[in-house]
Amino acid sequence: MSDERYTKLTEDIQAAIADPTRRESLYGCMKRGRDQRAAALEDWPGGGAFRADVRAAKDRCLEQQDELMQRFIANAQERGANVFVASDGPAAIEYVLNVAKKREAKTVSKSKSLTTEEIQLNEPLEEAGLRVVETDLGELIIQLVHERPYHLVFPSVHKTAKEVAEIFSKETGNPVPNDIESIMGVVRSYLRPIFLESDIGLTGANVGVAETGAIAIETNEGNARLVSSIGDCHICVMGMEKIVETMDEAMLMISAHPLSATGQCPTTYVTWMAGRSPMGEGDGQERESHIIILDNGRTAMRQDEGLKEALRCIRCGACMNICPTYGVVGGHTFGHIYPGPIGIPWTAAVHGLDAASTFSPLCISCGLCKEICPAEIDIPLTISEVKHRHMKVHGAPKADRTMMAADRFAWLGSATAPLSNWFLKNPLFRRILESVAGVDHRRTLPPFSRTTFTRRFARRTVAQPAAPIRKVALFIDVYANYNAPELGMAIVDYLLRDGCDVSVPKQTSSGYPYIAYGDLDKAEAVARRNVASMAAAAQAGRDIVSPEPTAVYALKKSYPSLLPDSEDARLVAERTYELFEYLLKVQNGNDTSPLKGRRFGFHCSCHQRPLGSGMAAMEWLRGQGANVELIETGTCCGMGGTFGLKAGALGYDLSQAVGQHLFEAFQEADVEAIVTESSVCAIQLSEGTGIPVIHPLMLLQSP
Amino acid sequence: MRASSIPGSGGVWRHFKDWGNLRGHEGRDKALDLVQQFSTRFESLKGVVHTASGDGDAVRIALSICADAVASAVALSHVPKPFQAAFVEGCRDSGVAVVAPPYSNDTLPGAIDRAQVGVSMAHFAIAQTGTLVEVDVDDACRIVSCLPRTHICLVRNTDFVPELYDAAPRLRSIFQENERNCVVSFISGPSRTGDIEMKLTLGVHGPEQAHVIVVYDE
Repeated sequence: MSDERYTKLTEDIQAAIADPTRRESLYGCMKRGRDQRAAALEDWPGGGAFRADVRAAKDRCLEQQDELMQRFIANAQERGANVFVASDGPAAIEYVLNVAKKREAKTVSKSKSLTTEEIQLNEPLEEAGLRVVETDLGELIIQLVHERPYHLVFPSVHKTAKEVAEIFSKETGNPVPNDIESIMGVVRSYLRPIFLESDIGLTGANVGVAETGAIAIETNEGNARLVSSIGDCHICVMGMEKIVETMDEAMLMISAHPLSATGQCPTTYVTWMAGRSPMGEGDGQERESHIIILDNGRTAMRQDEGLKEALRCIRCGACMNICPTYGVVGGHTFGHIYPGPIGIPWTAAVHGLDAASTFSPLCISCGLCKEICPAEIDIPLTISEVKHRHMKVHGAPKADRTMMAADRFAWLGSATAPLSNWFLKNPLFRRILESVAGVDHRRTLPPFSRTTFTRRFARRTVAQPAAPIRKVALFIDVYANYNAPELGMAIVDYLLRDGCDVSVPKQTSSGYPYIAYGDLDKAEAVARRNVASMAAAAQAGRDIVSPEPTAVYALKKSYPSLLPDSEDARLVAERTYELFEYLLKVQNGNDTSPLKGRRFGFHCSCHQRPLGSGMAAMEWLRGQGANVELIETGTCCGMGGTFGLKAGALGYDLSQAVGQHLFEAFQEADVEAIVTESSVCAIQLSEGTGIPVIHPLMLLQSP
Repeated sequence: MRASSIPGSGGVWRHFKDWGNLRGHEGRDKALDLVQQFSTRFESLKGVVHTASGDGDAVRIALSICADAVASAVALSHVPKPFQAAFVEGCRDSGVAVVAPPYSNDTLPGAIDRAQVGVSMAHFAIAQTGTLVEVDVDDACRIVSCLPRTHICLVRNTDFVPELYDAAPRLRSIFQENERNCVVSFISGPSRTGDIEMKLTLGVHGPEQAHVIVVYDE
């Protein structure tokens, strides 16, 4: 069966979930990363506006990559650097080995370079008899224990101070105290002689500047300054996509990078290096600088429509700081060599689709990475593309297929209600359902209504207003149609009362699960159908409103990305509103406070982050007199749409682990109920907290 | 703005925490705001900012820092001749060894590694980010601000730019002026790392202490 391929992944997830200490440590680190970045952006002029600048600059430079690379090479060579364009890892490794041989080098000191890890440079050098020492502390730690990086920016974040002390005790043969300050003292004296004796200093580069032929290297520790100065031979390995044209663009990159990574700006040291400087006067060893520009799949990536925007990546690691599943399992499980969300398209491009597919299922398509990325990369869509390619060859796992057909199951659930509901509460049936369809037996599913919303709407007796102020096309999606038609009818009542003419055009559900699980062909087909229908409504003067956040997200964000050449998709996106955004727009004023004295905790679903972040719903609730508090951890509740319905580790179990801190936050808050607009988050929060979870509009309906 | 024009100040003050008292002082120029902004930022990054009125003052401050660091050896990068002459003399009087450019490569990097203090001069500084900008065409001078535990950097009060992006055209010019090898180093405080549990610690490989002496014309 196709699901056996995820045995290792499942085991790794279960091991991660079962290690609460490491989970706490990882969660704390990720939260610190998010919070530090947010705090820094408050002070930075323009806040997050630089993200659009980074995106534009990167797109421009990638478009002109060939020309910029030639200019960079010419300028660098004029200044005395040697430049080699390596088509792949082995070519780069061979070049380095030849240089090392020619110089009879014995020791190589390295400052951090993910690119050298991408091509696994260290091993062949060591096999050739060279001593290779990582001088970036995080990289040194994982080097000493032979592990892969856990995080792009903090490769050893999974190691506690105590573990690090033990590692250095072992390495130096002397006991090292557990406090970070003492460890740093040991590290400084351990590495100092290595810096001083190195024959070759090997660095990466954060940016290459075409107009000057210079590279820029960022560190906080100062190790890159020592590595790039003392050793008579300097070698830099840099991915070709790092090249920008101007110093101004380079300054943008070296500010966006640490702002997003750690909330700093800039890093303590930025070294702008061109050519090779002498070390004092006199005849000594000849000093040289070699810049290896690495391709290794980047040229192919530029021509790959589905993956190419991942080339904008500036390696800040913010995406992994916010990724809910990465935050539970960490970079060894959520990664091959490049970890985290951006690691999925990058691994597919440089290490192969199979390698990427070993961890791509960890993406639950919450979309948070896209909202934090300093280059505005649509990481979720590139991940869907990777899943899509894998699925075309290997098919989709059973549980994913079930969830992609969720709307059809919902239709069936309604058509066979109330019998379906009885079965869904029957433990034996649930076990069979889990085994056959991959739906976790522990999930309480919302009951199905025999009469769907579309039928009730068709049969309604209240007339449309004679002279409507506005016209609305309702996009009802799954929950308000099959599970809670009373919610759909309540929405219609509100809109009619506020003078709107309401129609329910031909539509399917949003089809978002196709995007989440990677069937982009079907996703595109659903998008076309819904766009055709909704665009006609928009052209007839209707505004599009949906109560389901993920449906609004699909209409406004996903469909235009799936159908980039479609004017209709753009029109639909422009005219789509979240429910409360629209209600606030059309409401006729309200002097009653029916919810006065009530205390609610509001949950904002991930897909609402690029929309209104739930502000409209909260404003509406406060307008009704309610006391509303936004309660959040900065990351997902764990449901991930249908992800949390799936059985076992790659579903329910991981979903519960992700949601744990949010559940605790709600339980500790002084609220009588949780309000959220998302039907699926509601399931997760209800089960996870035991607190009643209500849709804001339903608060005003009589029971 | 002259140090001696402020009553009771004595001409030298070490930290910029008292800038609040000087607000609204007549004759304050734009350069002062940038220096203040730089200082606030640099000190928040755990660096130390001093002001000096002229090279003589700067030498006194530098010697004082060396004494606090219990330095037995100091390494210099390219610094103004008047400063260097007075500083070397001051060190000689206290029995502190000084090495200075031109460096002979067979003594390197050891000669600089043995120094406890490195003194360099910044081409300019960036107020917004608390960044010093050094320009070196000889790596021997570059390692003066890398190897010793304490780094002292001189910068003229008129050599400040407001924002990080203002440095871009400056760097372009610097690379145009130096047609072959050239290294520009941005330094924003003492060396640090967050690699263990994402908790920040100072003085890992680079200097543990970063001092800036903002030198005003006498």
